[in-house]
Amino acid sequence: MISFEHVTKRYGARLALDDVTWRMEEGECAVVLGHSAAGKTTLLRLITHETQPTSGVVTVGTFRGGRLTRSHRALLRRTIGVIYEDFRLLSDRTVYENVALALYISGQHVDADVAPKVRRALQEVGLESHRDLLPAELSFGERQRCAIARAIVNRPALILADEPTGALEPKSAAEVLSLLLRIHREGAALLLGTTRAEVANVIGGRRYMLEDGRLRDATTAAPASSVARAAAPSSAKATAEPGDDATTPKHQADLFPPSTKGGA
Amino acid sequence: MHVYFWREAWRSFRAHRGLAVTSVVSLTAALTLCGIFVLLDHNARQALAAIGDRREMIVYLKDEVSDAQLATLMDKIRLYFGEPTYVDHKQAWSELSEQIGDPDLLSGVDDNPLPASLRVRLKPELLSFAAMEQAAKQVLEFPEVEDVRYGAEYVRRLDDFSSGMRATAWAAGAMVAVAIVMVLFNTLRLTVVARRQQIEIMLRLGATDRFIATPYVLEALMHTLLASVAALLLVFALQQGLAPRLVGLTYLPWTWSLTFVGVALAVAWVASAAALTRILRNIGS
Repeated sequence: MISFEHVTKRYGARLALDDVTWRMEEGECAVVLGHSAAGKTTLLRLITHETQPTSGVVTVGTFRGGRLTRSHRALLRRTIGVIYEDFRLLSDRTVYENVALALYISGQHVDADVAPKVRRALQEVGLESHRDLLPAELSFGERQRCAIARAIVNRPALILADEPTGALEPKSAAEVLSLLLRIHREGAALLLGTTRAEVANVIGGRRYMLEDGRLRDATTAAPASSVARAAAPSSAKATAEPGDDATTPKHQADLFPPSTKGGA
Repeated sequence: MHVYFWREAWRSFRAHRGLAVTSVVSLTAALTLCGIFVLLDHNARQALAAIGDRREMIVYLKDEVSDAQLATLMDKIRLYFGEPTYVDHKQAWSELSEQIGDPDLLSGVDDNPLPASLRVRLKPELLSFAAMEQAAKQVLEFPEVEDVRYGAEYVRRLDDFSSGMRATAWAAGAMVAVAIVMVLFNTLRLTVVARRQQIEIMLRLGATDRFIATPYVLEALMHTLLASVAALLLVFALQQGLAPRLVGLTYLPWTWSLTFVGVALAVAWVASAAALTRILRNIGS
């Protein structure tokens, strides 16, 4: 699904990724751990073609390496659901409109087709009652759940999450991680970048360390997780409320110490 | 065109009301200027058509032309040049007397010196100076013809005036097209800059340039439609105001008005699409 072949990325003199060769299969779950500015975001941006490697080849599905045309880049991005630390919601659109936007962009323009899909995505993230609110009227956790609804509404095969709990207080962070796990168990591959080992512990899957631009497989060093190998689609209830998932850690507050930034 | 794009265009229109008003006012000013030239061109064409209707060629005949020769000549002229009307000596004299008005002036003239002639209402394709000049040369070749007159200098000036008006209208149109392009380019650039962050998010979600641009193109068309209708109303008000002083000044026919709006929209479409292609290339990747 995703492969990096000897990928190096430099920003001027700074080396972000150094000869990274890596592969991720369909339905797989992987967490890239690294300190701030370690290159996690660069790695995700290479996948979405927001940036180009200095050398090496990045392949995502059938999109192999090189500089894609703008229309091909758009096509690639429509097949991926991306979740950002700062949510990237349109501030003048309601929750419903933000989620519907992803469908409109993918070429589904008929409101009668869009409405049930948006409703279902909002149900999945527990925001159906907030559908007419603007992002500014939501808590940070709710905003991130809205962003997740937007990312999953097209049922993409791959979800990229760039520090998705970075701006959230512990309870919201736990809900978001629980949600991501459930989406993954329904069949989507999940690649998550984070600075926090506890997030990696919750998510499970393959674990990679990104240090000095080098990507190292740290799966064996990580605590084993039942989710790590459970890449196959599950029959998890699509409309379950966040937090009621069986894999949700029971001691969420312990996983996210009070020093965690953000939260509303 | 899906409802989504119209909804987005209307949202943007409302969200940037100040910019929209500025754009509509600027476009109205440019289009009104163009509308005035179109009005002048329309009225000049009408006047020229009326004058053109009176364009005729006088073919003076030799005295010895027989009735049979005259009939043959008229047939040939009818076939190639236009509709001839025969004016004999007496009728020519009578018309001259009427034109002069004072019979004493002609009392000293013993014999009628005026030749018989044919007044030819030329075919429409022969009404230009060049065509009339050529036709006159050909008619002069007939043995029955003494001379041909068609007011060469008058016709040439009329043609020059007509082509001058047309060139002025085209130049005004071209200037207004440039004005439309500049107004729309700057309006769209400001609108897009104001929404840059949102556009970047849409690009990250996989939106194509066309998807992003379409609502803005529609918004530009809304501005232009409003401006062109306002411009036509202003030109109408001007025509109504001037009509009592300038006899014969008429407003544009509805086909001209529709064409005016249509051309303005077409220019706006091309200009806004081209501008957005350029603007979006500089946003995100």
